[in-house]
Amino acid sequence: MSVDFLHPGEGAPIDTDVSALEMRGIGKRFPGVVALDNVDFTLEPGKIHALMGENGAGKSTLIKIMAGVYGKDAGTIRMRGREVDIKSPRDSLKEGIKVVFQEIALISEFTVAENIFLEGYPTGRTGSIDWKKIRADSAALFNRIGFNVDPAARTGSLPVSQQQMVEIARALAHEARVVVMDEPTSSLTPNEVSLLFTVIRRLAALGIAVVYVSHKLDEVFEIADTVTVLRDGRHISTRPIGEHTNDTLIQDMIGRRIDNLFPRQRGAAGSKVALSVENLSTAKKLIDVSFEARAGEVLGFFGLMGAGRTELAKAIVGYDPIASGTVTVDGQRLAPHDTRTGVRLGIGLLTEDRKSEGLMGELPVYQNASLASLGAFARLGFVDKAKEHQAVQDYVDRFRIKTPSLFQQIKNLSGGNQQKVLISRWLMRGLKVIVVDEPTRGIDVGAKSEIFALIDRLAGEGLAVVMMTSEMPELLGLADRIAVMCEGRLTALMPREEATQEKILNAAIG
Amino acid sequence: MSLASTASAKDQPSLLARLFARQELALLVCLVLVLAFFSATVENFFSVRNMTNVLGQASLALTAGIGCALVFISGEVDISIGSLLATIALPLIIIMNDTNSLALGVGGALLFGLIIGMVNGYLVAYAGINSLIVTLGTMFIMRGGVYLYTGQRAISDDASLDSFIALSDGRLFNIIPYSAVIAIVLLVAFGYMMQHWPFGRQIYAVGGNQEVARLAGYDVRRVKFICFIISALLATVAGIILAARVGSAQHTAGLNFEFQVVAATVLGGVSLAGGIGSLTGMALGVLILQFLSNGLRGLGLPTEWQLVITGMIIIAAVAFDEAKHRRANGG
Repeated sequence: MSVDFLHPGEGAPIDTDVSALEMRGIGKRFPGVVALDNVDFTLEPGKIHALMGENGAGKSTLIKIMAGVYGKDAGTIRMRGREVDIKSPRDSLKEGIKVVFQEIALISEFTVAENIFLEGYPTGRTGSIDWKKIRADSAALFNRIGFNVDPAARTGSLPVSQQQMVEIARALAHEARVVVMDEPTSSLTPNEVSLLFTVIRRLAALGIAVVYVSHKLDEVFEIADTVTVLRDGRHISTRPIGEHTNDTLIQDMIGRRIDNLFPRQRGAAGSKVALSVENLSTAKKLIDVSFEARAGEVLGFFGLMGAGRTELAKAIVGYDPIASGTVTVDGQRLAPHDTRTGVRLGIGLLTEDRKSEGLMGELPVYQNASLASLGAFARLGFVDKAKEHQAVQDYVDRFRIKTPSLFQQIKNLSGGNQQKVLISRWLMRGLKVIVVDEPTRGIDVGAKSEIFALIDRLAGEGLAVVMMTSEMPELLGLADRIAVMCEGRLTALMPREEATQEKILNAAIG
Repeated sequence: MSLASTASAKDQPSLLARLFARQELALLVCLVLVLAFFSATVENFFSVRNMTNVLGQASLALTAGIGCALVFISGEVDISIGSLLATIALPLIIIMNDTNSLALGVGGALLFGLIIGMVNGYLVAYAGINSLIVTLGTMFIMRGGVYLYTGQRAISDDASLDSFIALSDGRLFNIIPYSAVIAIVLLVAFGYMMQHWPFGRQIYAVGGNQEVARLAGYDVRRVKFICFIISALLATVAGIILAARVGSAQHTAGLNFEFQVVAATVLGGVSLAGGIGSLTGMALGVLILQFLSNGLRGLGLPTEWQLVITGMIIIAAVAFDEAKHRRANGG
């Protein structure tokens, strides 16, 4: 095991004439959505190949197919000219593909050396693990990539940057021919990024084909030899980096024209400030974010993966602790990290993660809707059921929520109808500000426009709507003003009329 | 930071902090304190006779605790072991009474244990049912079955084989009870396996992060399945020793035994969440509770108080552990 890379020159020479990996006509569909449609992707040994695209372009699906996490529905995969069938993570590893996911896949209680050899521990004659060899080989592997991590350190105690190095060493231990780095710099400091780039170049020098998944233009221009752009699950372009400029790359990533899918019903926004956020910072992500949202307006926040939208949403409703700064709702200061006063002052969050943070799936529709307002239905400390049911029924009628009855378990409703119930939960409470985080995630295209209409209506009724979204059409179709985030900072704030896709994406890339 | 920077060189915690970070060492200190306290307060506590007696008493929990710890580390629980103790005594005693053969009796008991382990393991690993529920179910089923079969009367060991009786009162070199020798041999063997065999590390990996283990190509279900089988087989060994000690198959044998074992395992720092803990820790947990119980009895404290104190110690130990982890993870 690992002979090749520990002792260069002894292993089989890497043939640079044959593609390291060749994916042809890859297709993948999920219920209601085509994630990949006839995508070609070819990797050359010793080259760094960037894979770019907006959120939802299909980057993740493509690398998960390489990793054996998803099966493909169509197409062929060849490794060094030979067709392979990747059905499981094990198959993928066996074929020499190693994907370093953003969410690092190491056992945090294990030592570094144990993690490097997780896929298969070298054993001695007795069947016992050869710890000496593992430690020595680990050290040798780190030597090869030019970065030392103590093989005996507990993995969970290391910073993400070093855990990435452990993953890379792990790739070498298994003689990977293809190493995929998935958004590797999203939580690294600039120093760590340049170290990582040094290591990635060494991998390429070893003849490994590196896939660099990112949406950061400057990084791609610095490290990549070739760039492939995906958009809406389709292959758009593959070109040497030298043929690209910032503008051509952005053009490839956006491409489409946005039609006005969501006819606006509401009037102009008011001038009363409903929410005011000043110099908000959190320990992990947000840096000095300030903005105001007015009654009756939709303030859209755009950002790429990891920009900090969800963190901002959770901080301003009092769900997550904040390090410094203030949040004021309707003139009253919100105590940080306290959702109780948040709800009392009238700010609520429609979470991006309905399943784990929004719904109580086993409970009936009416209990899900009335959750935040039980006090309003109480008489002598008991919930007045008749009153509660009537209130919920009103919302079911108003929002045309499709459910057989109030007593249906909410998990049996469609995503769009679940979302409407959750919006009712907050309206029942009499909110002044509603923060909606990716309001149409996991909702069918048909139902999306209904949710948009609902958001439009909320603003029309005088609520301030703060909408976090990664979808450009949603943003341009709904928002009165557009805020753009990048790496925890607010990088742009403009009226809808002045916004263009290029301007927004430029601000999002930073 | 330079290219050749080393991860652990900076942020080294103090020596004391590192010692206490070693779970086993903290437990060892506790055990020594328990021993010192009762040696000073209870007459004849610190005698070879009493020490080896306690070791003999602890051997059941030590043996079954290995399996309990393995299942915990894999991220599951097994609370069916107490009932298993009573159940496997039936084939053991009945076969021995019929054949006068210890080997056949033990073979029958182990076969029975194997089947129970496979049932538990199948339902958890392959059918995907929560392990607490599965083993709670098999715990009731086995206990009920034993009550029904025996009509709540003990089935006595009529064969009275010397080799079987030696399991209860025999001592190696006339000092260490055979039951303790068996427990120690098993502890060493499984302890070695957990640290030095690929399968042992697989158990830690599966419990530590099931998704990572799956991505690394492990057969997560198989690992869990085997852990339940090992747990049942080791409980069977404990059940055989218990049957030898009481000289019969008793319908009440091993009542609440599973909770004593779980208590000791948790006290020993094995995490219910999986992936964390060691057999050494588990063994120290068993010994602390056993010596504590013995010492408190020596002080003349009634059993009821022992229960109360044991309960408080377990909660305190786990709370201490939680606090330590929270500090270590900086959150």
